[in-house]
Amino acid sequence: MDKNYTAELEQIVNPENVITSFEERLTYSYDSTRLEYMPDVVVKVKTAEQISRIMKLANEYTIPVTPRGAATGLSGGCLAVEGGISLVMVAMNKIIDINPIDLLATVEAGVITENVSKAVEHLKLFYPPDPGSMKSSTIGGNIAENAGGLRGLKYGVTKDYINSIEVVLPTGEIVNMGTNTVKAVTGYNLVDLMCGSEGTLGIITKATLGLLPVPADRASILAFFKNMTDAAKTVRDIVAEGVITATLEIVDKVTINAIEDFLKIGLDRTVGAMLLIEVDGQKGAVEIEAGIVMKVCRSNSALSVRQAKSAQERDELWSARRAALSSLSRIRPSTILEDATVPRSRIVELVEAVNEIAKKYGMLIGTFGHAGDGNLHPTILTDLRIPEQSKKTERVIEEIFKVTIALGGTLSGEHGIGITKAQYLKLEISKPVYDLMKKIKNSFDPNNILNPGKMKCTWDA
Amino acid sequence: MESEVKIKNKKEKFAILEKGDELYSCSRCGTCLAYCPIYKQTLDESLAPRGKMSLLEAISKGKIEYSDKISEKLFTCTACNICTSECPSGVKLDEMISTAKSDLIDAHKYPQVLDILKERIKKAYNVTFDSNTGRLDWAAQLPEGEPEKYVKAKAEVVYFVGCVSSFSPRSFGIPRSIVQDFDSAKVDYTLLGEEEWCCGFPLINSGIKDVVGDLAKHNIDAVKSKGAKLLVLSCPSCYHTWKHEYPKYLSEKVDFEILHISQYLLRLIKEGKIKLGPLSGKITYHDPCDLGRNSGIYAEPRDVIKSIPGIDFIDMAANRKLANCCGGGGNLESVNQALASKIALAKADEIIETGADIVVTSCQQCNRTIDASLKKKKKETNAKVKVIDLPELVLQSIQSEKL
Repeated sequence: MDKNYTAELEQIVNPENVITSFEERLTYSYDSTRLEYMPDVVVKVKTAEQISRIMKLANEYTIPVTPRGAATGLSGGCLAVEGGISLVMVAMNKIIDINPIDLLATVEAGVITENVSKAVEHLKLFYPPDPGSMKSSTIGGNIAENAGGLRGLKYGVTKDYINSIEVVLPTGEIVNMGTNTVKAVTGYNLVDLMCGSEGTLGIITKATLGLLPVPADRASILAFFKNMTDAAKTVRDIVAEGVITATLEIVDKVTINAIEDFLKIGLDRTVGAMLLIEVDGQKGAVEIEAGIVMKVCRSNSALSVRQAKSAQERDELWSARRAALSSLSRIRPSTILEDATVPRSRIVELVEAVNEIAKKYGMLIGTFGHAGDGNLHPTILTDLRIPEQSKKTERVIEEIFKVTIALGGTLSGEHGIGITKAQYLKLEISKPVYDLMKKIKNSFDPNNILNPGKMKCTWDA
Repeated sequence: MESEVKIKNKKEKFAILEKGDELYSCSRCGTCLAYCPIYKQTLDESLAPRGKMSLLEAISKGKIEYSDKISEKLFTCTACNICTSECPSGVKLDEMISTAKSDLIDAHKYPQVLDILKERIKKAYNVTFDSNTGRLDWAAQLPEGEPEKYVKAKAEVVYFVGCVSSFSPRSFGIPRSIVQDFDSAKVDYTLLGEEEWCCGFPLINSGIKDVVGDLAKHNIDAVKSKGAKLLVLSCPSCYHTWKHEYPKYLSEKVDFEILHISQYLLRLIKEGKIKLGPLSGKITYHDPCDLGRNSGIYAEPRDVIKSIPGIDFIDMAANRKLANCCGGGGNLESVNQALASKIALAKADEIIETGADIVVTSCQQCNRTIDASLKKKKKETNAKVKVIDLPELVLQSIQSEKL
């Protein structure tokens, strides 16, 4: 590594925030994909001005820069795949302003997702996006990856709550995008472009987030089914009955058993699937909607349907759902979590196709997810250290993606492309669209130094 | 030393080399970042639980070697164990870190203070520089007179005081209250006096395991020699060691029951042997890590507090298995005093937020750390929360009943 640039970095952020030792860099080489790429240097930043100076320096020396929040991502977005600088944003964690009239909170990018809701709890407000990693993940990372969560069906995802952002462009300029009005049609919608750009177009340093009033009432319903097909049909029919539930989660037999092994809360191991549904809103309305949901479950031959009677019982059910992935991950050494997403009308077909693929390859796949959004998490349980298993896993992933696309779906509902899904991009987007994306990237980042090596896909000549 | 370590690494003798599968099961999901008190204060990934696991995995694969830097990382830990208890993948981080610490001892890469600690315990059987004959100094000022009266040849109950409460004057209130609580309940008890040896916890926590067996054997024999049916401990770390560590070192079965003081006080209250009078005020409770998370005792101390008439009990927002460490654990203070103090101040904030007048704990170490941080906070915020230990609160209530 060029000693000069390390010395210059030390002038920008103070020497203690420039980390070069092999051991310490190693702890900034991974994220939740469990892949590892060593950055040449780790730099901990506190301000947009520091980042601006670092980007100017990086352009001068052509050093790759990869922004990093809490590194809980599932597609490798924060991995420094081409080395260079790992830019650690977690110390930028101030909540700057809360505005209960405009329903807005302005925060620095390193603020932990859950802390936004905690900070406005006393005002009976909340920040709706709730990705699985919300206790650790940062707002900056959530925006860069356009993180989803359990409440997507009714409340949408991260992009639906970003009013304006402060961004350091790859060339070092600090700019503001978006407005804090409810409506705005001035210029291109750059906030939406940045949201989900996976840290390739700019470094988000500050964001003004939308908040909502906490619903007055909610009800949780648990229904068991003979098989996944019945459960998936129920999902489709609930929405068709005009009920938009806050959450509508499906869990398959493999996952039910894994959760029961882990939590021992008395789930019925003999059933083929369960749905966990929450409706929220005004008192009265919630009861009516809960009634409709239960009726639809029964008309789709649910084996049993019940509504949680107490807040404690409700919390237990949701902690069971939140434990799905971790419970599965205890079964085999490697857990490959996909987030194939199809239009809701095709969810039954996706569920059946995943089952077929699992059978065909003799692989253990646990499926759960946000069925109401058409977003499933088929989770392949394997051991990637064994070459033959690793190859088979790749084939399974490819087949799942192919069927997802054939059903009019998308490779990733909420985890992003990064490096783990990059090679499959061409299944979904055409060459001209990919070329357009490259032109956009190039106009933001002419030297290709910001988070290089992501969403990289090659077309055969 | 350097060359010897390298040879050992090559010969694959370090215990961590056997832990590859378990280390691989850490999925790097980052859940631990939300809980680890060290990470929350430093935001330093190399000190986070998953960071530590990645370093150990790199060692197990031969990518890096044990070094002073690795040692510094691993010993920067309060051993509060919230990482293990919250890990979704079920990684036993406590076991991994403990294995690595033992390796570091073998590799002669450990904080210098440990040499002194080990020498003290080996020579004087306690963690201080004092002779073990001073075990009963705290009893000298009790109204009942001679300390020796607390050491009987035979008794139904043995009370194991622990090094800190025996030798550190600021903790004397704990054993003094306990003997008075016992006297009021007419318990037939004895202390071990100078036959009480360090339980070995500070050594176990540091990865030094060679002396622990001797300490365990001596202590068990000392309790047996009293013909006791019950052993009561007030230090959560001593309790945890007796209950969960000694069985790993000795095959010998103990034929007496082992209770923490909070459990025994509750039993005495339920049996009507301790009579509680009214006190007033709002009280919160701090779960010591070795008593709560590491031993599963959450209800008993709370039940004791709630049995006192006139008390208004309130839990902190993070309590029981999610309770945050006070910063006093894992001997962090001797490695990084400033960091321990930051963790303690964050704990003080949680306590003050409850609006309680008193925070009760059940550990001399938590008591000391919380007291210091509350005093610092008092200067800033004027919050007047006081910390007292559970047996001291019970004694106040007993005395109020007699009025």
